[in-house]
Amino acid sequence: MKLAIQLAYRNLMGAGLKTWLNVGILAFTFLLIVFYNGFMDGWNAQAMRDSVAYEFGEGHYYHKDYDPKDPFSIKDGHGIIQVDNLTNVVPILIRQGSVYPDGRMMPVLLKGIPAKQSILDLPTSYLQSDEETIPAIIGKRFAKASRIQEGDDVTIRWRDQNGSFDAVTIHIAKVFDCDVPTVDAGQIWLPLYPFRSLTGLDYQSSMFVINKEFDREQYPDWNYKSQEELLKPLKMVVDSKKAGGSIMYVLLLGIALLAIFDTQVLSIFRRQKEIGTYVSLGMTRSQVVKLFTVEGAMYSIMAVIAAIIVGVPLFYLISQSGITIPQSSQTTSLSISEVVYPKFTLSLIATMILLVVLAATMVSYLPSRKIAKMDPVQALKGKIQ
Amino acid sequence: MKNETIITIKNLVKRYPEGDTEFTALQDINLEFCRGEFAGVVGPSGSGKTTLLNIIGSLDSPTAGSVHVLGHEIGSLSHRESAALRNKDIGFIFQVYNLLPVYTVFENVEFALMLQKIKASERKKAVMQALEWVGLADKHKKKVTKLSGGEGQRVAIARAMVKRPALVIADEPTANLDAANAHAILKMMKKLNTELNTTFLFSTHDEKVMTYLDRIIHLEDGKLIKDDIQSPKEYSL
Repeated sequence: MKLAIQLAYRNLMGAGLKTWLNVGILAFTFLLIVFYNGFMDGWNAQAMRDSVAYEFGEGHYYHKDYDPKDPFSIKDGHGIIQVDNLTNVVPILIRQGSVYPDGRMMPVLLKGIPAKQSILDLPTSYLQSDEETIPAIIGKRFAKASRIQEGDDVTIRWRDQNGSFDAVTIHIAKVFDCDVPTVDAGQIWLPLYPFRSLTGLDYQSSMFVINKEFDREQYPDWNYKSQEELLKPLKMVVDSKKAGGSIMYVLLLGIALLAIFDTQVLSIFRRQKEIGTYVSLGMTRSQVVKLFTVEGAMYSIMAVIAAIIVGVPLFYLISQSGITIPQSSQTTSLSISEVVYPKFTLSLIATMILLVVLAATMVSYLPSRKIAKMDPVQALKGKIQ
Repeated sequence: MKNETIITIKNLVKRYPEGDTEFTALQDINLEFCRGEFAGVVGPSGSGKTTLLNIIGSLDSPTAGSVHVLGHEIGSLSHRESAALRNKDIGFIFQVYNLLPVYTVFENVEFALMLQKIKASERKKAVMQALEWVGLADKHKKKVTKLSGGEGQRVAIARAMVKRPALVIADEPTANLDAANAHAILKMMKKLNTELNTTFLFSTHDEKVMTYLDRIIHLEDGKLIKDDIQSPKEYSL
């Protein structure tokens, strides 16, 4: 093997520009794959972290009649939580309503949440107020869509438990910056206890969020969804985006491998006199096959080295400064922050190195097998078709 | 040692498939070569010269008969055994030199020794000595693509001789050279033949080569026509 490596290195160095073109394409592909996966992993990690912090906690309990995916279940999907210690839960009451900014009407979800909760990262402390006007908090996305600003007073309307319309003016105490659209878009967060009174649903909640300390026993009227279950759709979205994006780098990798394959196939015909010379000098056919395979594998190793030289400082910089996501991308229903910090893990890099080296070795070995069947006399004459 | 037989060919037949029939390249060849001979196989194109040398060099195998080279029966050697025989005991010189184009002069000559897993320091010594023999020691760092035809063939000679083989097979070694270079190359090979007692086997139809040979074997249509021992000539070596 040492001999094959020595000779392959000499051959590649001697081939000059052709080698560097192959190495360059493969290194670029390698960097792109690592970058894309690092970006998706960084996004995934950020999305999961934010979703847990702002929305999921350690899990949700939904009232048996409430289905978050069914808006018709909001009206009757509420009940009283029979838990002893409320410090480990955040009860939330959800009602449908409308908001009237500057005379316009927008349908919204009104969500009541205790001002003193500490399980979710929502800035609910702004919901504490001694003044008569009810304070409310909204997310930046909704603020932008509704053109409501911090400090505005707006009217909200809803139907109480008897179906009668009721309305009140609320004060926007805080527009919070959060990357989780499902706690932001079309939602107004209000202090739970006044909201319960306004809706005539005292002690009622649609759902509650729990923390790690919460004792998860069975609550007959409530359906439990673990953090893992809640994160599943998000993971699926990120995975499907990853899979979709992987088409691009599979294509790129394919082109790079095709370049190596092409070089190897052409080499075998173009270099047949050389192969005949190797055999006449005393190389066995299997040694020649090994030499050509190592040459192909060496492209990938050189590409990995080149990619590491360029990629380590570049990716370090990117992972520190992050990548600014355009505003348009943030208006999607996916959790994505203004700046995504790609996550380049050792396992990701090691997996990609393995993938690139194995794939390059394989595409080099396949055409090289033909050498084993070559007649050295015909090869020396360059007469193999 | 001069009269030690190193090649024995008995009733050698070589046939190649040609469409539905077979083409007979060599027919009933019987020959013996001794250590230190400077012999050539001559004949017109297609007479079987190269085929005979390829079989002796274990690059090809006989269809019938036996060929013993340095104690090895060529027809019964495995790929690995014939590769080992070529690597240690047989040097090849080709008409178009067949140098490895991406290598330097030094690396081309060094190649066979690398296959023998000889230490780098010993390889360097042997390579430089071989390059001294052919007068190219000062050009050892040059890429072979930068050399002239005569220089290229001298590198090929150094590559064949560096491992001090018992046998060197030279297939039309002067065909691509002008007269001056051809004479220089032949004198060099004759000198190495004398000094190192290496057996040289040529295939040629070049009159210049024939004047240097001690023995000329004439082939025609794959048959041995004449086996001439020539009287030694005087060369200014």
